[in-house]
Amino acid sequence: MSTDDLTQDLTRRTENAPQELLTRSFFFLCAVLSIVTTLSIIVLLTTEAAKFFSVTAPLMGVEGPTASVVDFLTGTEWVINNEQFGVLPLVSATLAITIGSAVVSLPLGVATAIYLSEYATPRARSLLKPALEVLAGVPTVVYGFFAVVYITPALKTIIPNLGTFNMLSASIVVGIMIIPMVASISEDAMSAVPDSLRQAGYGMGATKFDVSVGIVVPASLSGIFSSFILALSRAIGETMAVTVAAGSQANLLNPLNPASYLEGALPMTAAMVNLLTGDITGGGIAYRSLFAIGLTLFVITLVMNIISDLVAQRYREEY
Amino acid sequence: MATERGTIESFGHVSRTAGTVFRYLLLAATLFGIVALTVLLIYVANDAIRPLTADPGWHLTFLLTLVLPTLAVGAYLFRTDPASFRFGGAIVGTLAVSTMFAGGVAMLFVDIVEPVTWFAYVLALCLALGGVVVIERLDRRLPFLVRFVAAGVIVLVSLLVVPGAVTSLPVYPSDGVLLTLSVGAPIALVVGRYVAAADGRRRRVAAVVATLVVVGLGAFVGPLVGVTPVPATVVLAVAVVPTGGYAIGRIRRNPERRAGLGLAAVILGGTVVGAVAVDALGFAGPQSWVDWGFLTSAHSGTAANAGLYPAIGGSILLMVTVAALSFPLGVGAAVYLEEYAPDNRLTRFIDVNISNLAGVPSVVYGLLGLGVFVTYLGQSTGTVLIGGATLALLILPIVIISAREALRSVPDSMRQASYGMGATRWQTIKNVVLPRAFPGILTGTILALGRAIGETAPLIMIGAPNVLFSLPTALSSKVSAMPLQVYAWASLFASEPFYQAAVPAGVVVLLIVLLSMNSIAIVLRNKYQSDQ
Repeated sequence: MSTDDLTQDLTRRTENAPQELLTRSFFFLCAVLSIVTTLSIIVLLTTEAAKFFSVTAPLMGVEGPTASVVDFLTGTEWVINNEQFGVLPLVSATLAITIGSAVVSLPLGVATAIYLSEYATPRARSLLKPALEVLAGVPTVVYGFFAVVYITPALKTIIPNLGTFNMLSASIVVGIMIIPMVASISEDAMSAVPDSLRQAGYGMGATKFDVSVGIVVPASLSGIFSSFILALSRAIGETMAVTVAAGSQANLLNPLNPASYLEGALPMTAAMVNLLTGDITGGGIAYRSLFAIGLTLFVITLVMNIISDLVAQRYREEY
Repeated sequence: MATERGTIESFGHVSRTAGTVFRYLLLAATLFGIVALTVLLIYVANDAIRPLTADPGWHLTFLLTLVLPTLAVGAYLFRTDPASFRFGGAIVGTLAVSTMFAGGVAMLFVDIVEPVTWFAYVLALCLALGGVVVIERLDRRLPFLVRFVAAGVIVLVSLLVVPGAVTSLPVYPSDGVLLTLSVGAPIALVVGRYVAAADGRRRRVAAVVATLVVVGLGAFVGPLVGVTPVPATVVLAVAVVPTGGYAIGRIRRNPERRAGLGLAAVILGGTVVGAVAVDALGFAGPQSWVDWGFLTSAHSGTAANAGLYPAIGGSILLMVTVAALSFPLGVGAAVYLEEYAPDNRLTRFIDVNISNLAGVPSVVYGLLGLGVFVTYLGQSTGTVLIGGATLALLILPIVIISAREALRSVPDSMRQASYGMGATRWQTIKNVVLPRAFPGILTGTILALGRAIGETAPLIMIGAPNVLFSLPTALSSKVSAMPLQVYAWASLFASEPFYQAAVPAGVVVLLIVLLSMNSIAIVLRNKYQSDQ
């Protein structure tokens, strides 16, 4: 073998060797699958929802009953059998669940995050963090069952006119469910605050309380807000707990009025499940209304996720 | 102001009250969710297991044989030798969790897959792998593509021909022997690897043979104690051998922790002695809803007779399908993003896209499954395959994100060292990065699988039946799942008897499975983090 051959052999470019190409393309395809998923979600939801509305249905070549966009967005009645598809009652119920769960989870979540990041000893942290993970790991249908069977009767002893299915206990369990999410994202933001800021605070004579509330929380505010938005978007998309606990009667309620939490209502996700637990015939208007709600839900959660991302990025304090 | 006068009399006084109150408020807030869940869990466990319906004598017997000895030995060990205490606890925990999973696996072989079919596929896979290894060894000078095509042909031929050929044989060995070879042998090889790593190659053969003998004995010993050969073999292979191997390996490495065995012996012995004593004295146990009948019977219109069997089988099949789909795809995507991806727009887009996908509600994934798999691809509704595919898509973002974290934790210096030795990128990933990141990837995947097991909404969306009376036996048969069954009981059959009997029992079984999966993941992660 001449030296030329040897050099060539040793400096072979391996980047485009068949083995490398093959593995690289496999990995690339895996990564692209996520884009395919998103695209198919968007295409599927929009085409099926387009078949639902009377404005767009002719474009899709669909004949048969349709619903008008205006009626869908402003209607106050959701009765499948009468083909009344007003989404407002569903949205109001979803909003009520979101607000109710926010009242439970946001303060508790932030307090947990402050405790874990500022006060807890390493040993306490190592016990509390897995316990919080368990909180998020319990299936949502189980939470729904807890709400109906244990929490509602317990609340009934305090509030006698509480319905069997009500928004109050549904909101409470959804709130408990999303505490870990608020806590872990906020805690990440708080631990990212550099120690020098805390030390500066102590140097000025601040107490631990002053440092936590006056320095750490403001410094990690963007992370805390993004955790709020993510957790609320999770609450909006939460399905089984509200399906089991909130009842199946669509009614328009005022989410800001505490009295409306005493009765049941039908959030968007629960409406979708109810549509399918009844007999679903592929291609009917009820089937397409499913995708119309799905699209509404997808757009709301997507926008919230993007906002959360932007908040976290734009307002992040760089240290 | 003091400074204006030029003198400072004192530093003043800072009240501690606000800080203390704040601290305890925070602690209370942290504990709120945990305590609330614990209380609910106690309630549901009480409703499902009904410990108070047992005879006082039953409680007394177990108090004497199990609880008091365990407490005494445990407290003594905990004070004198915490390492042994943990070791003893780990043995009991491993045995409990692995027995549970062994039950699931045994169920697979009893009702879903014929042992001979399984054996045939394992054999086909072995032959295929053997063929590939031979080709690789034959001549490294052959062009890669030739080797690749040859390997592909061998794998295909072996997988297409061998299973059919084996299952069509007129006579084959008994199920016990088949399972010993097809389930016991792989486990024996794993045990052998560990032994070889710890004690050198010479012990390996002994370990492999010992494992096979232990597993093989199941088929003969099982019937003597009233267990048919198939579950006996599986339990030995999946539960007893790993636990025993773990205990023996640990003791050989840290002989001073022997005392931990005492704790395990007291707990296991106490349980057996207690059970025998209760039986002999005629004390009735609790009238638990979670009993053998509940675990092995199908749904029924009356709550007391309703069971979870088809749902458990469905959940197992779904878990296998989801793991098979999401693990390679998720890890592949993570490897691409961490190891290959150039920093360009497409990469950033994929990045943002994955974190958004993680936030898409599960019902929407259900709609995706319904629309794409059922309506457009024309699959029938509610099958194992589309259920698994939908759940796999659902957890894919979670798997990708956790796998990326694990890959990122591999130090760059190791990659550089590998490149410095002349390895290509794929060789570096295969030999250096993936082995090192594997425990982290596994942890993330187990947690994600736990999420998939608990999901109900996507299954409802793709039209999984609410009530199923038989186990799914193929990828194309209808599937039910534990949470789906619980939902059906809690909504469609909503009535007092179901709320008090079937639903709590279902919830308890579901939670035991999920919590043990979570604890496996957490133990793995702690071990992995302390190793680094």
